[in-house]
Amino acid sequence: MLVLERLGHFFSLVFTLGSDPLNLVTLFAAMLMGIIFGAMPGLTATLGVALLTTLTYGMETGRAMIALLAIYVGAVYGGSYASILINIPGTAAAAATAMDGYPLAVQGRAGKALGLTTTTSAIGTFVGMLFVVSMSPLISALALQFTSFEFFLLAFFGILISGTLTSPDLVYKGWIAGFLGIFLSTVGRDGLQFYPRFTFGLSDLDGGLDVIPVLIGAFGIPQVIQVLKDKVVVGEAKKFHRILPEIRDIVHNIPAIIRSALIGVGIGAVPGIGEDIAAWVSYGTAKNSSKHPQTFGKGELQGVIASETANNACIGGAMIPLLNLGVPGSPPAAMMLGALMIHGVTPGPMINFDHPGFILQITAILLLASFAMWITGMLLAKQVIKVLRIPPPVFMPIVAVLCIIGSYSLGTRVFNLYLMIPIGVVAYFLTEMGYPIAPLVIGVILGPMADQNLRRALMVSKGSFLPIFTRPVALILFLLILIMMISQFGFYKKLIGRIKDRIARSRGRTRQSD
Amino acid sequence: MMEKKKLRRADFVFSVILLAFSLFILGNTFTMPMKDSWGGVMNVWYVSPALLPLIVSAALIILGVALLLYSIRSGGARDFIANIRKRTRGISAANVRFLAVLLALASFVYLNIPRVDFFLCIVWFLLYCIVVFYFDEATLLVKLSWFYLGGNLLLLLLFITAIDQPISRAFPYGIDVLLLLLIIAFWLYTRLVVRADRRLVARLRTTVIVSVAVPLILVPIFKFGLLVPLPHEGGIIGIMSLIRYALR
Repeated sequence: MLVLERLGHFFSLVFTLGSDPLNLVTLFAAMLMGIIFGAMPGLTATLGVALLTTLTYGMETGRAMIALLAIYVGAVYGGSYASILINIPGTAAAAATAMDGYPLAVQGRAGKALGLTTTTSAIGTFVGMLFVVSMSPLISALALQFTSFEFFLLAFFGILISGTLTSPDLVYKGWIAGFLGIFLSTVGRDGLQFYPRFTFGLSDLDGGLDVIPVLIGAFGIPQVIQVLKDKVVVGEAKKFHRILPEIRDIVHNIPAIIRSALIGVGIGAVPGIGEDIAAWVSYGTAKNSSKHPQTFGKGELQGVIASETANNACIGGAMIPLLNLGVPGSPPAAMMLGALMIHGVTPGPMINFDHPGFILQITAILLLASFAMWITGMLLAKQVIKVLRIPPPVFMPIVAVLCIIGSYSLGTRVFNLYLMIPIGVVAYFLTEMGYPIAPLVIGVILGPMADQNLRRALMVSKGSFLPIFTRPVALILFLLILIMMISQFGFYKKLIGRIKDRIARSRGRTRQSD
Repeated sequence: MMEKKKLRRADFVFSVILLAFSLFILGNTFTMPMKDSWGGVMNVWYVSPALLPLIVSAALIILGVALLLYSIRSGGARDFIANIRKRTRGISAANVRFLAVLLALASFVYLNIPRVDFFLCIVWFLLYCIVVFYFDEATLLVKLSWFYLGGNLLLLLLFITAIDQPISRAFPYGIDVLLLLLIIAFWLYTRLVVRADRRLVARLRTTVIVSVAVPLILVPIFKFGLLVPLPHEGGIIGIMSLIRYALR
């Protein structure tokens, strides 16, 4: 009965949101903007959400969420356009799509590939939405049992796992980025005693670093520098007549779609891991489990389906820890966290008490966004790809202006700009040297949570760390952190290698004796 | 990302910088109250504001040492030293482009935004930034960058010597007019340099249109739509406000 009641409430919410013409205009406009952002190489979903945040802070919260989620969903999907048509991923999340998408376009099947990516992306978003609505009450209930120790360990775990999984070079480069992020979060007066840390006598630093300029600086400015410095040349887009959503292909690939969506949701729910990793893991799984892996990379429809379903399903996954724990699941979700705070919504275990129905509202918006994405993709694909003709040297300086005006307008402080540029330049060098930026950003966001909860926890326990070992969730998180760190040491790898060897040898002996 | 060999060299340099930075954080952390009284609160180590910075600096030192050792083991340190010895003079084309982006961003944010009409700042920034990268010719990039740098140095000189203040008192919006003249001069100079190449003339035309159209759209959105007071509202934004209130 309760389920039916919730379902009824959910659909009435969908109807209420969808029947407001202004909401619909916002939804489709932001969706189109998102698809354009995703399609243009050099622009990312995170940047899209960041820049739109500045335009939404005058809106009421519900409408702002419609705009932000629509641009997020649209940008993740839009990346597939450039991947398929010009072999340059529009976003990192669509890099795996290019593997088979472009060969399909070369074979003259670009319309079919785009039809599939549009439909599977919509399905992925829908599955992600189902998980938000079904998992949120469970996680929220669990999170209510958390004490300060759990929150401290959760923040630490989020930063470390993000560093571990997103580092393109050495794992501890990801951790360095994470710790640098935590350091940035400690700048300013501390939340408990109001002591000025690392302010160097500058009153502008007393309030700490504003999150949005740091995020825009860390994600936007390196992008601008990279595209202009490295001369990104966009080739001629492959032609297609119309997008063909072939139901037969969808039905035939339902198991693959469900598997990819589950991978996407699962990876999205891990703090700080983005859509790009979800897409690659899903692509790899599809290839490994295929009966004909040799066709992957040569225009295999399953490859395109796997990456596009997963990266859009990741959005729902990323919203689960964001809404229930206050821990963003992906870089665009980190941006969403900043936007939510601007609108007076503090995500975390108390969200259901402070803002009853908010999670259901987000779920309803995700459902509307998946429909809007499908409709916009089907109707406007041919028009959208015209933006691929705009040369990057023309649009990247405009993006720089948008980054600057966006960072400034949130606090109307020129000081934010003074900070944004060095952060952007450092982030650019870090990226060049193989340091992931996501853990840095997650560190900036989760740093205050780690700081205040650690001190609060120790205050209650009078300086004892014993509660970590007596509380099950804290112990699990602690062990996960420990294993994650130890697993990077040579002795651990050798030990695991030896154990594996022994198991293999004993298996061999057993077989021989049989 | 860099190629592997270059990456290991960079690891060596970065690990040294990271260690120095971590030691600096650690040193600064020790100045924070750990046991003393702060604002009437008697501190114990576990509620001290120094606790997290201490953990962070310790972690960064350990990771910095690990990175340093790795870069030494993988030959990054040796490569770096060898590379210093055989380093030739001159800057690569990619680095010139990098410096051009930095010049544009730094002058836009640190020099112009706080002092000159925001509309003109955007035009000045976009005109330079789009032209030099859209033309995609190394010699033109250098030539136009020198002009742009010269213009910004002139403005810097005015601001440092505080000559801008008597100018602004004598001629309202005098600095805005000066920047407008610089923009026109830059455009004319570029036109002169590329006059023989019809492709580049067309690109310059596009650039001028984009450079003016973007602030023409953005400034009213933020100023009148979102009611954001812009960093410096000078002559052009003043005219926009007059038009806006005349139309109301």
